[in-house]
Amino acid sequence: PCRAQPKKKKKVDLKREQAQKDRMKKKIKKLEKAAPEMIPIEDFVTPFKYSDGSRVRSLPPLSFEETERRVLLLKKWCLFKQKQDEAEKKAIRTLMEAQQEALKELRLESEELYEAAIKRDEGLFPFERDGPNYTPPLPGYDPPEGKCIDITKVYTQ
Amino acid sequence: AAAAPRPWKLFGAMCLLRLPRITQPLQKEEEEMEALMGQIELEKSCYSDHEIRKLQEEEQLRRKKESIDDDDDDRGGGPGKTVIMAQDLEEKWEQKFLRFEAAPRVTDADRNNTRTSLDRRLDSNLLLLVKQKIGSQDLWLLPQAEWQPGETLRSTAERAMATVLGDHIQAKVLGNAPHGIYKYKFPRAIRTEDNVGAKVFFFKAFLQSSDLAQAELKRDYLWVTKDELGGYLKPEYLKKVNQFLLD
Repeated sequence: PCRAQPKKKKKVDLKREQAQKDRMKKKIKKLEKAAPEMIPIEDFVTPFKYSDGSRVRSLPPLSFEETERRVLLLKKWCLFKQKQDEAEKKAIRTLMEAQQEALKELRLESEELYEAAIKRDEGLFPFERDGPNYTPPLPGYDPPEGKCIDITKVYTQ
Repeated sequence: AAAAPRPWKLFGAMCLLRLPRITQPLQKEEEEMEALMGQIELEKSCYSDHEIRKLQEEEQLRRKKESIDDDDDDRGGGPGKTVIMAQDLEEKWEQKFLRFEAAPRVTDADRNNTRTSLDRRLDSNLLLLVKQKIGSQDLWLLPQAEWQPGETLRSTAERAMATVLGDHIQAKVLGNAPHGIYKYKFPRAIRTEDNVGAKVFFFKAFLQSSDLAQAELKRDYLWVTKDELGGYLKPEYLKKVNQFLLD
């Protein structure tokens, strides 16, 4: 009598435990198979408080002359940008040609110098430069102090 | 290759550029477009919190002026409260902005046209020119040095720069390959079978440090922009240099 009862408990418990473990594993597999949730892009979602129409600006409608002026200005801008782009491309082309000519002449001179010139310059990239600002830096300027706390939401998949 | 005598002498020249520090002034079309873009953005936008607050306060002020009876009751309620209006805030910000003085875009060096200073023409590239003796003439040209066997042309150009500006110069050379070449033949008096002429290979570098106080400048030097080059360089030389200089 003493031996029979513990044996039954062990078997039944083991089977129950194994069944539970299998069920858990199946659930985990199902969750993993499901596609991961997309991270919402905060710029594309208008927040709820701006969805009512109370914030619409009330401006007088555009006159005919104004629309005409705008269309003509856009056409002028298109032409201006096209000319600018062409000039840039031409400048780059002359740059490339000048360099090719220089390398050709160098090759005529000596092969070893040419090989040394062809080699990649490892120290060149990454190339960093602070872009031009509107005004030059003010000497002796003391910027006001403050702490910047970053509150961007970080999503993990 | 070392055995056969080369008829051309090799020089390495460095084209040192100081990059622009301020933006170039906008052209007429760009200004018009900027104004138009601002207008369109304003039309398409909605009211911000600050603007709504301002409008509401203006409403309240108007109502107070029209119905003066309500005004007295309100005043009796809270005498100690000072409400900051959005209009006051705007004026305060305006005052603060007007008090700030930015550095001028047109510097003293511009007004005096001191071509040896680096503070001139902050909106365009400045190129270094030195006066060197070639043959019997003193000419304005990009710093160059004769190539010596055992070094690459890039190191020749760097050496040329170091002889003019000193060792502590910080410049980023753009690659190992030359950007341009100027070939010229010596005058007939000096020309021999072995020594026909010279080839000057140009390398480009960007000046990193803006302070050249430590530089020991022994010779005459100038910092000029691309359009001013014509006044200093010889025509053939200028043509070759203009090919690899971007505006």
